[in-house]
Amino acid sequence: MDNELFMNVSEMTSLSSSSPAMLNWASSMETHPLEQSVITRNVPRDCFFWEKSTEQSVIGSAPTSHVSPPSVSNFSGGGGGAGENHVIRELIGNLGNVGDIHGAPASILGNSSGSRYAAPMMSSSPPLDAFSGDSRFAERAARFSCFNGRGKTNGPVAETASINGELTRVSSTSALKPPTGESSGESSRKRKGKSKENSHSSTVTPSHNLPKEVEEKEDSDSKRSKKSKENGGEDTKSIDPYKDFIHVRARRGQATDSHSLAERVRREKISERMKLLQDLVPGCNKVTGKALMLDEIINYVQSLQRQVEFLSMKLSSVNTRLDFNMDALMSKDIFPSSNNQQVLQLESSSDILLADHHSHTLQLNPNDPSINIMNPMETSESRSFNSQLPTLTHFTDSISQFSTFSEDDLHSIIHMGFAQNHIRELNHVHSTSFQGPSNQVPSHMKAEL
Amino acid sequence: MAFAENHINTDVPEKDVFALHFLQTLSNLSTQNPFSSPDKKSDRVKKIKKAAYVSMARAAGCTDRLWSRALLQRAAKRNNKIVRFPRRRKRVTWLRRRSNRRDPVEEAAAERLRNLVPGGGEMKTSKLMEETAHYIKCLSMQVKVMQCLVDGLSPK
Repeated sequence: MDNELFMNVSEMTSLSSSSPAMLNWASSMETHPLEQSVITRNVPRDCFFWEKSTEQSVIGSAPTSHVSPPSVSNFSGGGGGAGENHVIRELIGNLGNVGDIHGAPASILGNSSGSRYAAPMMSSSPPLDAFSGDSRFAERAARFSCFNGRGKTNGPVAETASINGELTRVSSTSALKPPTGESSGESSRKRKGKSKENSHSSTVTPSHNLPKEVEEKEDSDSKRSKKSKENGGEDTKSIDPYKDFIHVRARRGQATDSHSLAERVRREKISERMKLLQDLVPGCNKVTGKALMLDEIINYVQSLQRQVEFLSMKLSSVNTRLDFNMDALMSKDIFPSSNNQQVLQLESSSDILLADHHSHTLQLNPNDPSINIMNPMETSESRSFNSQLPTLTHFTDSISQFSTFSEDDLHSIIHMGFAQNHIRELNHVHSTSFQGPSNQVPSHMKAEL
Repeated sequence: MAFAENHINTDVPEKDVFALHFLQTLSNLSTQNPFSSPDKKSDRVKKIKKAAYVSMARAAGCTDRLWSRALLQRAAKRNNKIVRFPRRRKRVTWLRRRSNRRDPVEEAAAERLRNLVPGGGEMKTSKLMEETAHYIKCLSMQVKVMQCLVDGLSPK
């Protein structure tokens, strides 16, 4: 059976006028026992394998002496590329025939038109559908032979590199199913211009799969990759993991180019925030329209800033020396809010730091005779003072208790309470979650008590 | 765009936080000049005003908002201090300025708003409005705190 096949091929090769390529292949085929084992299988597939294996053998043996200048030199290089193309197409046609019926007449020889050899292709078994894509294959094979022709000067290594490149593309376009879906995506991407031939050569494995599958897969891949490259447009609005953009669907009856879509998104964002601001600024409900609203907002901001300035003026006049009366502060209902407890905890926890920072307390306004400079001795006093703080829910409740303590205590507490670390924590963690350090305080206070 | 509210966060901390920060800043002010208190009223007023803004920016969350950062940087610059904030992932670059303002009607108003809100010179209009909302909230809180202080301290 093998011999028959070989005979057929050789017949065809002999029949064809100039078929140095086929001679080459035939010779290489004969020299490689590998193919024979392959060919013992199903005949249609054999042809397929035969081609692949020859190519592979050519590749694989490139460094060896098999595919060597001698085999190349067989190549008389006649006829140029066009002639070779014809030759190869004939060969393919013949192969198709061979796969179909062993004793196929060689009448197909003269026909190199695509339709002619497509017909036998169609009738052949599925694996031979591989050849449906072989117009490209033919070109590649032609190029392959061209390389052979030119290969005298380049040497085998260059050939293999180029052949590798060719073959990778062949494998992607013809019915080879890549081992993983990724590589098919790779191949589609490759066709788009990226060149990573070396990585793909590993996927050259003979396998028989429907080319249609691969085509479809590649089509879908190309569609996917095209989609991933497009921005805006008509993509659906969704959270896409591999995209950074927010996608908007074009509405019915509206322009769909990316600029207008972006404009629309921006306008919607702005209007949404205008609504937010409307709730904030009192008296904005009646006003409609962006410009008027913005005017209102601007007026409001300006009024607030003026208020700050006015109040600061007032403050400065109240407290002429920027040195405020803590006692008075604490005794009045200044900050009515329900979260005082946490505030107090903050202050009490800060007092722990106070004990260590004696030097700081000494810097407090030595000019003011009314303020007693706090001594380290008095830390116990401050601690006992602080022990009562957590029990207070509101400042107003503690008037009597507070009035017994000096201003200085309070001042120092508040001053030291805001050591830099504390304030940073405050900044990061607002009010509620400051339980860590304050937990230390109760233990200390219990010790005091 | 019902989901929009989720990513606009204009929460402002409680009044206490503002109060604390303000008091702290004021006490810092007083300790800065232990021996010579400035006699000129305008200086004092300016200092207090600056203290108010700085404390407001700190209370609102130093780095969470663009306006607070800009404010603090501005204040630090006047003190010849160099304040560094950690760079955020998204940088507002000057390129955005060109591409984001196309509506002439609102542009004028937006320009005015930019002048008012600190750090507003480089923002997209939508971002600017977010910042304005937060800024308004913080300002109103600060005003309340100061009002309480003044009321508490004023002689009866």
